[in-house]
Formats: sequence, C-alpha cells, structure tokens
Amino acid sequence: MSDRQEKMRQSAEKLLRDGEVGYVIGWGATRFCDRTTPVFIDSPEGAASLVWNEHAVNSLAKYLLDDKYPDKKIGLFARGCESRAVNRMIKDNQVKRESLYLIGVPCDGKSSDRCRLCRERNPLVYDVLLWEPEANAAPADRFERVRGVEAMSPDERYRYWGGVYDRCIRCYACRNACPVCSCRECYVDMGRTGFQGKQHSRSDNQIFGVTRAFHVGDRCIECGECERACPMGLPIMGQTQKMLKEINELSGEYECGLDADSDSFLGRFDLDDKDEFM
Amino acid sequence: MELKKDRLLEALALLREGSDVALPLPADDGGEPAFRLWDGVQEPFLGSNTSLPPKELLFPRSEGMYGYNLKTGELSDILPEARTAVFGIRPCDVKSIENLDHAFLEKGYVDSYYRARRDGLTTIALGCSEAARTCFCDSMGVAPGDAPGADLMMNDLGDAYSVKANTEKGEAVAKLWEGLLSKGGAKAPAAPACGFSVKADDSLPDRLTARFDDPMWDSLSKACIGCGCCSFICPTCYCFDIGRENRGACGTAFRCWDSCMFSDYSRMAGGHNPRPSKKERLRNRYLHKLAYFSQRYGATLCVGCGRCIDKCPANLDITRVMDMMEGVDANG
Amino acid sequence: MARPGGAAAAAKRPVAEAGPGAAREGNPLLPAMCRVIKITDETPDVKTFRIQTADGAKPFDPMPGQLAMLSAMGVGEAMFSVTAKGEDWIESSIKRVGLLTEALHGLSEGDMIGVRGPYGNHFPVDAIKGRDLLFVGGGIGLAPVRSLIRYALERREDYGSLDVLYGSRSYDDLVFKSDIFENWPAVCNTHITIDNAEERWDGHVGFVPSYLEEKAFSPENRVVVLCGPPIMIKFCLESLMRMGFSKENVITTLEMRMKCGVGKCGRCNIGSKYVCLDGPVFTMSELDGLPDEK
Repeated sequence: MSDRQEKMRQSAEKLLRDGEVGYVIGWGATRFCDRTTPVFIDSPEGAASLVWNEHAVNSLAKYLLDDKYPDKKIGLFARGCESRAVNRMIKDNQVKRESLYLIGVPCDGKSSDRCRLCRERNPLVYDVLLWEPEANAAPADRFERVRGVEAMSPDERYRYWGGVYDRCIRCYACRNACPVCSCRECYVDMGRTGFQGKQHSRSDNQIFGVTRAFHVGDRCIECGECERACPMGLPIMGQTQKMLKEINELSGEYECGLDADSDSFLGRFDLDDKDEFM
Repeated sequence: MELKKDRLLEALALLREGSDVALPLPADDGGEPAFRLWDGVQEPFLGSNTSLPPKELLFPRSEGMYGYNLKTGELSDILPEARTAVFGIRPCDVKSIENLDHAFLEKGYVDSYYRARRDGLTTIALGCSEAARTCFCDSMGVAPGDAPGADLMMNDLGDAYSVKANTEKGEAVAKLWEGLLSKGGAKAPAAPACGFSVKADDSLPDRLTARFDDPMWDSLSKACIGCGCCSFICPTCYCFDIGRENRGACGTAFRCWDSCMFSDYSRMAGGHNPRPSKKERLRNRYLHKLAYFSQRYGATLCVGCGRCIDKCPANLDITRVMDMMEGVDANG
Repeated sequence: MARPGGAAAAAKRPVAEAGPGAAREGNPLLPAMCRVIKITDETPDVKTFRIQTADGAKPFDPMPGQLAMLSAMGVGEAMFSVTAKGEDWIESSIKRVGLLTEALHGLSEGDMIGVRGPYGNHFPVDAIKGRDLLFVGGGIGLAPVRSLIRYALERREDYGSLDVLYGSRSYDDLVFKSDIFENWPAVCNTHITIDNAEERWDGHVGFVPSYLEEKAFSPENRVVVLCGPPIMIKFCLESLMRMGFSKENVITTLEMRMKCGVGKCGRCNIGSKYVCLDGPVFTMSELDGLPDEK
C-alpha cells in the first residue's frame, strides 16, 4: 500500500515539477486515520501530502466540473469509477480529454459500501498507469435490490419510497456528489421558476428524487456516490438503477462510461426512426 | 434525587400524559437516529448522540405560517400550539437551543412561531458519559456532563440517573416524578474527555474576520461539494426560506429550512449574487458559526457536536480553520 | 472642512424605533392586507404604488430610507424602500425585474397587497441638520433618496442648500418626472442628466459620475446621499474622493436578498450586520469596515 502511495506522490511531484499539469486532484489525510478528503495539490512539495489507502473512498471526477476550462491540464488520479465518470463527462461535453492528465491507479478495494457493485477496478482511460491492473472482484448481482423493490405490491412500494423521501432532508448531497449530474444550473436552484417546491414535504421531496433519477438515470455509472454522500443513508441509487434495468431489458446490455463514444440511451436518435409519434 | 433506570419508561409515560414527548430514537428502517415523538413503547436511543439535531422541535423543516384566500384577501395566522417535553438531549444540543433563542427572540423582533414552540418545550438533558471521536464540545464552552441551560439535568450513574431541576419547568417535572424518584447520593462520574480539542478563545472571531481575504478560503473550500448537509444536520443552523403553496383560491405561506451553501440563497432578483461560488458561501458559513454570531450575540454558534465532521460527504472539517488560526493574531 | 463625525455617528444608531402600526407586537412575519389606491407609470419598467390600509389609514409611519415588505398574495414577497408617505398612505416605486415584481406590475388600483414593516434603520435626519445636502441618484436609485428629499423639503429650515443630481439611461428611464422637472426645481437645485443624447432632450448628457465632478460641489459642510446601481456608486465615490469628500459624509443604501426582514432568516448579512435590520443605510466609511461581499 505505502509503495503505491509513494508512486502516486512521485508521479504527482514530477507532473507538477515539469509543469505538465496545473494541479493534481487526489486524496489527503483528515483528523481521522480512516477518512480521507479530496485534495488539490498545486506544488511539487505538496505531493507529499497525498494519501492512498483503503479509505481513499470519494470519487474525484466531479471536481473537474469546477474548472472546465483550466489554463493547464488537471492531473486526476483515476480508478475504474473515476475513469467511467470521465468517459461520461467527455461524451456529455462537460470536460475535454486534452484538459486532463489521467494518472491511472487500479483500485485495490475500498472500505465503502458504495463499492459493492463495482464491476471495474481498473481505469478504462488513462495517460499513465502507476501499477499493474487489479483483478476485478466477482461481480455482485447488479439489479438484486431493484428486483426486491419490483417485487413489492404497489402499496408496499409507495410506502417504501414514501418512507425514503420522508427522511430526505433535501441537502442535495446526492446531486452534488454525482459525477454525471452536470447542469450548469440545477432546476432546483431556479427558485423563481417554481419547478421544485421548496417545502420539506413527502411530495416535494419525491418530486426532487424522481426528477434527479430521471435526469441522470440513463447516464448513471453506478459508482454509488449518491448513496455514499447521503447523510440519511437513503437507498437512492435504486432509482437510477431501475432505469438502467429497464434500458437493459428494452435494448440489451447497457452500461455507462465504459467508453467516451457511446450516446446515453435517452440521447440517441435516429432520423429513420420508424416510430411516427416523433 | 435519582431515577432508577428501570423506571425511565414509566417516568416518560407520566410526562406523556400532559404533553408530547420527544426522544432520541434509533434509526427506523434504514434512516438515522433522530429526535422523534415517542409512541409510549419504543426504547430511547441513548448510546450516542443522534445524527439529526433536535432543532426540529423548535424549528421544523417546514411549517405553515399563515393561510390566505386569493379571492377575499383574508389572512389567517397559523401559530403552533405545541407542548413537548424532550428527554435525552445532550449538553451540546441544549447549548444550541440557547443559540437559537438568541437568533429568534432577540434584536428587536420576536419570532412568533419559535416563541410558541419554545414556551411549550421542556428540556430534560442527559449528560454524556462517553464522547464520540468527532466531539469537541468542551473546546466550545460546553461541559459534556452538564447542561446548565436545561430545565432538568440527568446523568448516568450506572443503574440510575441523577435528577436535578434547573428551572421551574424542571421542578414541575421532578414533582410529576415524585413517586418514582429516590434520594440518591451518588455523584455523577466525571464527564468524558472529548474526542479532540481545538483552540477557540474569545479572540477567534476577530482573528478570523481579519482573514476575510486570506487565500486559505480557497484551499478550505476546494473539496466542498456545495450541498446543504452540514447546514441541515447542524443543531444551530437556523436560516430559512419563505415560500407559498397555492391550491385553488386558497394558499399557505410556509417557511422551510434553507442553507447558505445553496447558490439560490443570496441571489437577487436581477441575478446578482454577492456570494457567487462555494468559496464565498463556505467562508460565510464558517464565519457565521465562528465569528459573526459571536460579534452579534456574544455566543459562538458552533457547539462542538461534531455532526458536520461526521457526515460531510467530502469529509470537510470546520475545526481545520480553527487549527489554521492557531498563533495567528488579528493584525497578522 | 466638513464637521467630523456628524453623519457617521447618526447612522450608527441601532435599529430605528418602529413607527405606529409596526409589527413589533404580534407576529412580525404576518403581513397586513392593504389596498393599492394609485398606480403611477414612471418609466416603461417602473411603477409607483400608493398603498393604504383597508380602512383608509397609513399602513405605518416610516422614516426616510426605511423599508417595506410587500407581497403579491400567492406569488411572493420582497423588500422595497418606501419612497414617500402622506397623511394616509405610503408609496413604493418598483422596477420590474422578476417574478414578484412582474405580479405587482399586474395589479390594478383597488387591488389588495400584503404589507409589513417598516424595517431597517433610516437616513440620519437629525445628525445632518444644518448641513448642505447633495442627493445623487441613478435610475431607480432615486427611490430611496426621494423619501429623504421630501423629508428635507418639508423641514426646509433645518437644512442648508439642497441639490439633486440625477441621471438615467434615457429620458424614458427617468423616474418621478413631475418631481424632478416641476416640484423640485422650484424649491431646490436640480441637475438632471441622461447617458446618451436624444432628440427630445436638451438637458445635460453624460454619466452621473462625470456630471458630478463637472459640477464641482464643495465638500465644505456638505453631506452626500448616493444611491444607484453598484457601478455608478463605485465611480461616483471615486469622483467624490477626488473632490475632497470624506467617506463619513457619503451615505448610501444597500440591497441584498431578503426573506424575513427582521434579522432572522440569515441571507442579507454582510459580516455580522444584517442589511434588513442594521441597514439599509450606511455611510461609506461604515461599509469599509464590513467584508467586501455586497
């Protein structure tokens, strides 16, 4: 572990010393040894504060949206989940590949429940790979939880989601942590439009939940950041996954962020579409 | 006086005859421990403090303020009638209520909604016998084992709780419990040491505001994702928005929790936003907690409960700014 | 030289005493339903609303510079300066910029409007007694200033010379035309300018800051009341500094987003001050002591 941490520090230090990147986004220490926080290293000396251990949990890709037009490349440590987010962001025109220097760091497993559905530990896109790829864990049953909710009766299901959104405190951590949630201004923050009621009520909370799920559902890379970020521990990735499951059933194997070329399912269109209602 | 632990539910049931009783209750299917109204049966959750603060008892997430009729123009006040006794509230959270009192009841205007709920609230505090690693209340002027601002103070003595009334409301509870209380001589064990300590002395507000333009705010805010988690789980964050919901000719004006971390919060009608990015917003939140509120009300708005440190999705830590200020004076 | 202290000392006054009818008693967040008794079109996007209680009285008695929270039922609520008051009415001039102001502009005479207030501090009317007053306004920024101009005109003997320097983008955008062209020229000095030349305009053309410098007002015993868009304030302040004014003698009003109006909801703070309670009136030297977050 410390060997890999050392490699990461050396890599970041060199990139910064050579002026290849303006800064590097990685993980750093907090007051607690089992928690890390995203750090933004902008000097070669600062690279010594980078941390790599099983607690380097947070996905770093979302921070790219804070700096879409960087003067110099941004160095980003990329595991499988970061790389899938980057692929999606490139396809969604949110970031440019040439603005990034992706430092590939195959993931050796993290201490977070968000990783339970991880299907790809190795970066799918990178400029340099710091160590050998890791073997992927045996894939968990991707849609197990979705099937559990589907099996409920409509009343049970309403109770289930109603209960979830009774507990939602509308902090929008799920939205802000999600790497594919990329509108420059969220409809939620357009208070004057009245699109999103501001009351903390079951119905207004549900409107937010459903809108969020529909807005990112066909681009969800299943990284689990939304659930990890949720301070109330709500099972909200179940909603975007429900959409993914439907898409899989409608049109075959569908997974997001595996490359930077695939259209999102709802972003596809065909001029020769035989459905006339369009 | 003391109350044997095996009589606690009986004592709470007595309270419940005259008012609602709120308790820290465990996570209900998948949620988080929080203060909720007691159904008379559930066991309280007393192992650690709740994830959600008790502020909802005084400042609900949403509350109706007044109703109106769009046709007739009639208005009708919706003032709450709440009588609630809360048991198991920790000293940090008792302190947070003192802070809410400053904000809602002082400086010329009394908030009627808060006032009504506050008058109806009896606080029965429980001293901490164990600190979480994120606790730093004793650095913020709170004694983990004692809450002088509570109506009734209780401490864990092992098989019993010590009971001490601090106010008339507290005495009324002690009287109600007369038959359950016994004479107890045992002294509460020493309060636990907090998880860590920070330096937050009287000069902190001025030292911090002198650093308003310091580049440290850039580095502190970079990892922030701009959500409202810290605000909403903070026991003292009290910002609110006022909105309206119309149904046909009738409508209700309501207020609801709001967060200074949201972009919409301070944006003006013409589009100008005095706090346009997360840097300005995080700075404003930290300074409100650690400087502005003290400068205005003479009390720090952070009570050291550690909830924001525990729950921040980016693992931000408000105490880092206090650490950074160590040895920095107001002029330097 | 200007007398030291004067205006600054007065503006430090804490919260202004509420006038009769103010919501100090009872629920401060509950509006009173009042009636719009007169609507004046000032410019293509500014209207002045004259407001009275349902039983024909003044909603409250504000001091110059104080604020009123006005609501269109079912739409929203926002804070406006009270630009004038009469025996049994108050007036606010409102520019159409968003959802609520759009709804207010849709009202007709006789319609009901929610009102609460008065809020905030006010212009230091006592501390500036005996001083020459220079009112500088741009666009809708004349609205808060107008309350003080009217106050000073009603107590003409209490103040020295009165000058109103006001400008707008175009002739159409000049507010309170009957005041600036008819009422005020008779009783004080008016200096009106528009940004660009127009055929029907034979008055001064140019921006407010340069006109201000052109006029070369002496700082001697003079207090400036300056309101307008932020960029105009910035350049006017630079002009005034060049002209020898001190920041203690330049008074302005601030605008921030507000919801409660009574210092509770949080959003209008600048440092530890709340604009709704401690403002909106500040001297420029007071603003220097606050964080730069306006």
